Amino acid sequence: MTLSNVDTEGLRSTSRKQEFGVAPTEHILDEFPLTSAYDVAIIGAGPNGLMAAAYLVKAGLKTIVLERRQEIGGGLATEETLFPGYYTNPHAFYHMMTDYMPIMSDFALNSHGLFFVKPNTQTAGIFSDNSSLILYNQIEDTKDSIAKFSASDARTFGKLMRKWRKIVSEVIAPGTYVPPISPIDMIETFEKTEIGREVLRLSEMSPAEIIDENFESDRVKALLLYVACMWGLDPNESGLGFMVPLMVDRAMNKAQCYGGSHKLAGALSREILSEGGTILDNAEVTEILVDSGRVTGIQLFDGRQIEARAVLSSLAPPLTFGRLIEQEDVPPEMIESASLWEWDKWSFATMSLVSQEPPVYECDDPSVNDALMVVMGFDSLDQVLDHFSAVIAGKLPESIGGHATVETRYDPTLPRIQGHQVSFFQVHAPYEVQGGWDEQGPVLVDNLITLWKRHCSGLVDSNIVMNSLETPIDIETRLSSMVRGSIKHGDYHPLQMGIFRPHDSCVGGRSPIEGLYLCGASSYPGGLVIGGPGYIAAGSVAEDLGAGKWWKEPEYVRRYVSTYMQTIG
Amino acid sequence: MSDERFDVVVIGGGHNGSTIAAYLAKSGLSTCVLESRPECGGGQENTEVRPGFRIDPHATYLYGGAAPGFDQLELWKYGMRMVYYASMAGVATLDGQAANLGGRWRPDLGDEAIKRHSPADLQGPGRIFDQLGEDASRQLLRALFWTPPHPQGLEVNPEDMPWWQVFRKYLPNLYFKELIDMSYVDFLDNFVQWDPLKVVGAFGAWYCGAHPDWEGMLLQSLGGTLLYSYASGAPRGGMHTYAHAIIRCAIANGARVMTNAPVGEIIVSNGRAVGVKLSQDAAFPEKTIWADKAVISGVDVKQTFLGLVGKSHIDPSFAQRVDDISLKGGSLFVMSVICRELPRYHNDDRYFPQEVYPSCVIAPADSFEYFRVQTRDAYSYKKSPELTPEHLTMMICTHDPYDSTRCPDGYHVLSPIYLEVPPPQYDVTGPLGINRHKEEITKAALGVLKQLAPNMTDGNIVDVFVNTPYDSEFRNAGMVGGNWYGIRQSEDQWFSNRPLPELSRYRTPIDGLYLCNQTSHPGGLCLMAVPYNLMHVLIDDGVVTPKSWWYPSPFYVSDPKPGTSNIKTPTDIGGTSISSVDSQALAASEEIR
Ligand SMILES: Cc1cc2nc3c(=O)[nH]c(=O)nc-3n(C[C@H](O)[C@H](O)[C@H](O)COP(=O)(O)OP(=O)(O)OC[C@H]3O[C@@H](n4cnc5c(N)ncnc54)[C@H](O)[C@@H]3O)c2cc1C
Ligand SMILES: Cc1cc2nc3c(=O)[nH]c(=O)nc-3n(C[C@H](O)[C@H](O)[C@H](O)COP(=O)(O)OP(=O)(O)OC[C@H]3O[C@@H](n4cnc5c(N)ncnc54)[C@H](O)[C@@H]3O)c2cc1C
Repeated sequence: MTLSNVDTEGLRSTSRKQEFGVAPTEHILDEFPLTSAYDVAIIGAGPNGLMAAAYLVKAGLKTIVLERRQEIGGGLATEETLFPGYYTNPHAFYHMMTDYMPIMSDFALNSHGLFFVKPNTQTAGIFSDNSSLILYNQIEDTKDSIAKFSASDARTFGKLMRKWRKIVSEVIAPGTYVPPISPIDMIETFEKTEIGREVLRLSEMSPAEIIDENFESDRVKALLLYVACMWGLDPNESGLGFMVPLMVDRAMNKAQCYGGSHKLAGALSREILSEGGTILDNAEVTEILVDSGRVTGIQLFDGRQIEARAVLSSLAPPLTFGRLIEQEDVPPEMIESASLWEWDKWSFATMSLVSQEPPVYECDDPSVNDALMVVMGFDSLDQVLDHFSAVIAGKLPESIGGHATVETRYDPTLPRIQGHQVSFFQVHAPYEVQGGWDEQGPVLVDNLITLWKRHCSGLVDSNIVMNSLETPIDIETRLSSMVRGSIKHGDYHPLQMGIFRPHDSCVGGRSPIEGLYLCGASSYPGGLVIGGPGYIAAGSVAEDLGAGKWWKEPEYVRRYVSTYMQTIG
Repeated sequence: MSDERFDVVVIGGGHNGSTIAAYLAKSGLSTCVLESRPECGGGQENTEVRPGFRIDPHATYLYGGAAPGFDQLELWKYGMRMVYYASMAGVATLDGQAANLGGRWRPDLGDEAIKRHSPADLQGPGRIFDQLGEDASRQLLRALFWTPPHPQGLEVNPEDMPWWQVFRKYLPNLYFKELIDMSYVDFLDNFVQWDPLKVVGAFGAWYCGAHPDWEGMLLQSLGGTLLYSYASGAPRGGMHTYAHAIIRCAIANGARVMTNAPVGEIIVSNGRAVGVKLSQDAAFPEKTIWADKAVISGVDVKQTFLGLVGKSHIDPSFAQRVDDISLKGGSLFVMSVICRELPRYHNDDRYFPQEVYPSCVIAPADSFEYFRVQTRDAYSYKKSPELTPEHLTMMICTHDPYDSTRCPDGYHVLSPIYLEVPPPQYDVTGPLGINRHKEEITKAALGVLKQLAPNMTDGNIVDVFVNTPYDSEFRNAGMVGGNWYGIRQSEDQWFSNRPLPELSRYRTPIDGLYLCNQTSHPGGLCLMAVPYNLMHVLIDDGVVTPKSWWYPSPFYVSDPKPGTSNIKTPTDIGGTSISSVDSQALAASEEIR
């Protein structure tokens, strides 16, 4: 079914030809028409915009995706930042929901050459005395490693992880792909099951309390708290404790995209194009057009207008409602949401590095070198707490700690010179640092290399070919969606999560402006490449436009809906 | 992973591979593109090396403006969009001269400059192209580049070669027989007086692939410059956007594109190419992909035969001939400079005011003789580069005065700055030789830039990125010699001789295997020309049936049917017929609109 009302076929723009006075046969001057009409226009070709587009185009809706950058993908970027000859993934690298994301089964993405590598050796912690702790994908392997530090922690971890994995698979992972319900309804339905009650209990606790309550070894606590909070939880804040099981479980379930994260964007774009969708890059949207409370389309930087019955924005409220729409057309609750929106409480600074030989960790367990992520710099819970308090306070922590990955360990395609290695070391960092990044950047690089060398003596200067640093300002420069380097388009705190993300008048991605939908990381359930916001918004749009919703929620989602989303009232 | 089957398998998703896939998919064939890298585009790359700043490590300008592909593939639908530049070229000398030569959209700039510096050069054959209109330019370019090479054995008087036919038709007063055997240098020496103008002409031609010193290549050399001025601009956002449009056209028409899919072997059975096998490090290691109708190689001729087909399917004498194909022709040392101010030549804004800043400045252009020495050096085996200012004529390009996507306000990107150097294969100290001189060359080049434009101080320059031809070859598996034309574009390796006479019609000794890379005619640059030309042969071979949007080259000569000798005689394609066939083609293109 095609719902298109105006067809752009044969409508190439002739204005340029008139301007230059050339013959109509001069096809190099053909351009996208000044006005065109679509069913759906999507602002931003990040993972969420692309996923929404892939579903909608296949539902028969005439769909166009507009991207400001020269390259699609948003956070799914693979770029030659180490020039010349070495690619790296400056943004998303760890793919944490490949086992759940519905796109993985709804589309034949691997037919485009896309695949993920998910090693068993997942996350390692190396401590100052070169001892190590490894979180494997397999629980028993992980227990073996924990037992080096505490036999009782190993047992606890085994039991706890069994429970936490149930929480993830029964509640949190499926909840990622359906619109949220209100806290009051949640309390009602979650009380019904044991798992549900545990979720409610954890919600009241802070991550630090949860970790501290269960474990005794300081090193075990340090690593677990780091992985629980590294994507944006305040260790001392209660209200989001239910995310601790998810984060720890995902620290044992990360995958790497072979060929670089951008390949996921490439594969999605091919699904969109082959079903008749359109993607324009170098096409910044500067206005969302609203007429009498209803969206009518969008306008591009150059004045081109695209009519659309539905507009999906992957941008956060301050951009969507604060900048792209005439303020008189924005309902008061969204003006408020735009002005109260809190960007991420910290961002990342990432040093990428090319070396002739890989960094080889010297520690008690050589299999650390197989780990997708190696955490360094934290021996105790307190050090982790100090680390996050410092970044939240807007400072670079005095004692450096963070996580590193040898990207070429499982993906040899990134360096053009065979045998050379590409790695990165990433730390949490505030948007602004005292003295400015120009001054502090090189100091940070020195500190990171010093720490890295302490654990890998082979990482001597003669082994290092080059390095580069991406600061939070750089993140914002590449991706204007990530204001202040907000990798999730907005902070994770209780008032910006669940039904409040971005606002409780936008459930299911439907905004109070008719025809305008929100589909980005600032919408429920949140940021990272998890596929939730795009998937949920696509469902709402297909329903509202009366298009055939050709996809079915996965079985695990349906089970969640019938158990946890049926309220009596 | 199970085998898959398509009508056509294309090896390599570079410019030429993607374009033939778009043509074939649009013609209704099931088509699969296998690209070894994570992203298609080949030499059409842009890189945001520094956040917010985009550089062009290889291709930078759109030369393909006259391509039928813009019409036939309707790239505008897939986001293709040009930015038109007021000035495409400027020239500056160490002794204090500078001139803005304008471009197609502002020819007045060039006229004015030449009037000032060398009034004698305003008239005469030296300004041949300014005497051609839009239509004649297009026809001449199509004759040179968008015409499949004649079949072997067809004897054509040199003056009846398609390009000379068009030339004679439109510029009868300027035509004389001696032109045919001239090199561009001979021509410049005869008809152009102002040395800087000669350097610009020669450098421009050289950069388009046909070196100005090569015999019998006058019109090809001139044609390169005409290609440059014809579109007078670049795709908004850079050349990679053009690659996006082409590959998206292919996919929208049903082509399957697999990335991280290096081909390791072309499967030959009973003398026929029937499919390919991916290599060990592919996304699907060793997967076999069958091709029912054709295997098209979008990678260079040497890799195709010596690497992918393998010596067991070709005879040793052929293998030797492939191995001997010359890569010489110079290669590019590429610098990209991020700065706060654009070069202010001779410290005077009046030479190049902001609104008409030349996108490309060729400098220093003091002496034609020095330039010839510089190019000679790039063609012979060399130990170390000569780094005196006279030997460092550069093409200094910038796009941001016209295209705001290239960098943030308050900054400029000079990218690329091209300097000619020998291909790494011909460095006596080994292929890595050039990389050992990287810093030295960069320093010398920036020194010359500062001599020309004193504001190019360390304080003005924010960052410098360099890729040598050696780096380019590594970055892009298809770019042998790190060069931009594949193999030398001299008469011995052009038209019916490219890459070898028996391969010039894109067919190969292996049935069902066709060539579609810049190592075939007409060579380098992203012109959509190799695929357009190849289409004629595929149609003749029954691989593809053309749809209504297709129109052929008016100069195309079909192969003789076996046993007969129905090769058209030269007179058939000469004189009168060109205009009639051409107008038919034009009419056909009008009709589909
Ligand atoms: C350094 C870093 C590391 C990260 N690591 C991980 C990781 O390991 N794992 C993980 O899962 N996630 C990671 N993330 C987070 C992840 O990349 C993001 O949360 C995710 O990309 C958000 O997806 P999105 O589609 O909502 O938005 P985005 O990816 O931000 O995409 C939005 C798109 O909209 C475009 N845009 C902006 N304004 C306009 C406009 N006006 N008109 C048109 N287009 C516009 C942008 O250019 C962008 O392409 C990381 C992020 C960063 C920065
Ligand atoms: C420095 C420089 C400047 C240039 N400037 C310009 C310019 O301004 N304008 C212009 O139009 N052109 C320019 N060019 C030329 C242009 O880039 C090339 O002519 C063009 O890219 C050639 O296209 P191609 O498809 O023949 O080859 P390529 O672009 O090299 O594509 C070949 C593709 O095949 C892939 N491949 C290789 N081996 C395999 C395998 N075994 N299996 C699968 N895939 C494989 C490669 O990864 C690559 O993508 C320039 C080139 C250089 C080097």
